[in-house]
Amino acid sequence: MDTRRDDVGISIRSALLDKGTKQKFSLVVLVIFSIILILTEKIESKPLNSVRSFFKDAVYRTSIVISSPLSMVSGFSIFIENHLTLSRNYNELKKENDKLKNNISKKNFLELENSQLRKLIDEQVDSDSNLLSARVMLDKQSPYLNSYIINIGSNKNIKNGMAVLSGKNFIGRIVDVNFFSSRVLLISDLNSKIPVLIEPSANHAVLSGRGVKYPTLEYLPEKHTIKDGDVVYTSGRGGIFSPGIPIGEIKIIDKIISVSLFSDLYQITFVNIHLGNLKKNN
Amino acid sequence: MGSEAKHLKHKFFAMLPVLLLFFISLNGSSIIDLKFFSINIHYILVYFWVLRKPENLRYSFIFLSGIISDIVFGYPLGVNALSLLVVASVAAYVRVVTVRVTLINDWISFIPAILFANFIYFSSLYLSNYSVDYLYLFKNSIFTFVFYPVLWLIFTAMLNLTKS
Repeated sequence: MDTRRDDVGISIRSALLDKGTKQKFSLVVLVIFSIILILTEKIESKPLNSVRSFFKDAVYRTSIVISSPLSMVSGFSIFIENHLTLSRNYNELKKENDKLKNNISKKNFLELENSQLRKLIDEQVDSDSNLLSARVMLDKQSPYLNSYIINIGSNKNIKNGMAVLSGKNFIGRIVDVNFFSSRVLLISDLNSKIPVLIEPSANHAVLSGRGVKYPTLEYLPEKHTIKDGDVVYTSGRGGIFSPGIPIGEIKIIDKIISVSLFSDLYQITFVNIHLGNLKKNN
Repeated sequence: MGSEAKHLKHKFFAMLPVLLLFFISLNGSSIIDLKFFSINIHYILVYFWVLRKPENLRYSFIFLSGIISDIVFGYPLGVNALSLLVVASVAAYVRVVTVRVTLINDWISFIPAILFANFIYFSSLYLSNYSVDYLYLFKNSIFTFVFYPVLWLIFTAMLNLTKS
């Protein structure tokens, strides 16, 4: 019995502590180093953040080069697919355009009325000048984390928590800022929780990512009157995002209240970062 | 001339696991995510080469590749590195205690490697306040195990090329 235990001990020691041929480090040393790295991740200090930012920027740039052949192939297949559906899209867009033309005068009036009402209650009125454009550098969709890397960072005053839009639609928020790049956590990610307002019912809820195409609504009141096609906006609760940024429309699938996003998260090349009050303060 | 070409070929195939390891990390394709299932090829690659020819895949490269994966996917630094090193540790242990190399032996001993690695992966993400889809992780573990023999055959062919 003791001999067998000794054998196991010797085997484990040999496997984990011995460097072996051509190895510079033993497994135990590297495991300890990994644990230290995980523990230091929570520590926020300027020199540490600078080192992290430098490495992350370098890896992102290298990753772009390495992934470029595969990106070209997938880009080409999307190009072909788009051409095949061109005629159908044209007819749909024509119909949509007619509808929008009818709505445009009504919208202008509502916008004017809305800005006057907001001024009346002393609320911040945001304008397009508060937006900063950026390009999506990397869109490696991990099964556990749906995110983008964009090509601006602390060099353009980007800060954690800023809202990210595709056109005028909300798609996510900044979660990690480096010198020349930032990470955008998409609204569809499991870790994404956004306070929202549903129109016309005026119900408040939390839009929660599920790692799939349609995020769902949580914390809705019991007697809500939400139906298919209702529009979801950021509510501005918590003071993180400005209120009234459109997100998507309600789609009830198997009694689960999901949100069909206005922007296709997998077809985005450029995004707008909502700088909030930063630009005005400067 | 002939022997030099042979030497170059030998060297290229010996370097292939490392090249593959870094390509997978930098390209963000450690998990092949298909419609109904997903496979973690990173785990299979590390497990196979540490078990069969650790000289071709240094532990420090495995660590570095894990760090790169963490950066590309946006996880806390060290999470992927730690789980890959756990896979490497199990493979190193199995290498020490086994004499005969067979697919069945390798395949069965891959189970604890996946279980330990995914447990570490899940725990580190949980402790770093990241949400994890448990069902996805479970399905991924099963399909990674099921898919192991396919990559085992491919890697064995690669390994034979470095010997011949």
